[in-house]
Amino acid sequence: MTGASDQDVVRWAQQGHEPAFRELVRRYERPVFSLLFRMVRDRTLAEDLAQETFIKLLNGIRSYNPQFKFSSWIFKIANNAAIDHLRKRDLDTLSLDGSPHATTPEEMRATALQVGARGETPLQEVEARELGSAIERAIARLRPEYRSCILLRHVEGHSYEEIAHILDLPLGTVKTYIHRARNELRGYLGDQKT
Amino acid sequence: MNEPVVQHLTPDEIELWAQGLLPAARDIHVAQCAECRAAAERERRLFRALAQLPRFVPEFGFVERVMARVRIPTPSGGFDRR
Repeated sequence: MTGASDQDVVRWAQQGHEPAFRELVRRYERPVFSLLFRMVRDRTLAEDLAQETFIKLLNGIRSYNPQFKFSSWIFKIANNAAIDHLRKRDLDTLSLDGSPHATTPEEMRATALQVGARGETPLQEVEARELGSAIERAIARLRPEYRSCILLRHVEGHSYEEIAHILDLPLGTVKTYIHRARNELRGYLGDQKT
Repeated sequence: MNEPVVQHLTPDEIELWAQGLLPAARDIHVAQCAECRAAAERERRLFRALAQLPRFVPEFGFVERVMARVRIPTPSGGFDRR
């Protein structure tokens, strides 16, 4: 089954073959978990959202539309889960630099995410190590919509058209988001036009 | 006499250059234009950094935790609860 196309594996899953379900999870557990971890920056939460993504996808496998790539479908469900969570928890107003609503340096410090701070649990230390590189910290500073676009384009290798489908956005908006996100990333990384 | 209009690379073309997909005619411009070359190099550095990001792995047993909550469809149209 390892060499079979996603479409073939999905068809077997739709026919009720349990190994096909397992194969789909094995194929996508890392990319889906990685996207979610970078979106929410919390290992436990990312794993919960990844589980919910797969359960929703696999329990609705009969409704899969083969007109679209399977990977687009799964990333659509995963991204929606992340964005829904960020909206509910209002995490999108937090960044490494603090809330954009903060009006004083004290408020900025009080609302900033403390990566690598003392008093971390072992899990938080792991997260800080995994997401602590300059590029990871730069990605974390992007607004969630930009972060989804940049990860889907440059980490997962989706085309602009596929990203537009995954995120339910017009193609022009996706291009604009990615262009702005790259400019912001270069700025955060100190690699801007001089 | 008017100076010829310089057609600098668009953002889409810069992306194509960074991927090695820019048509040869426009490649000539990059070779001759320091501004476009610098912009394209900046883009390529960013693409490389993003492409080298690692994939993270969920905790051991992830597949089993998912499968415990999945309903497998049966030929009769119902579901076989795992």
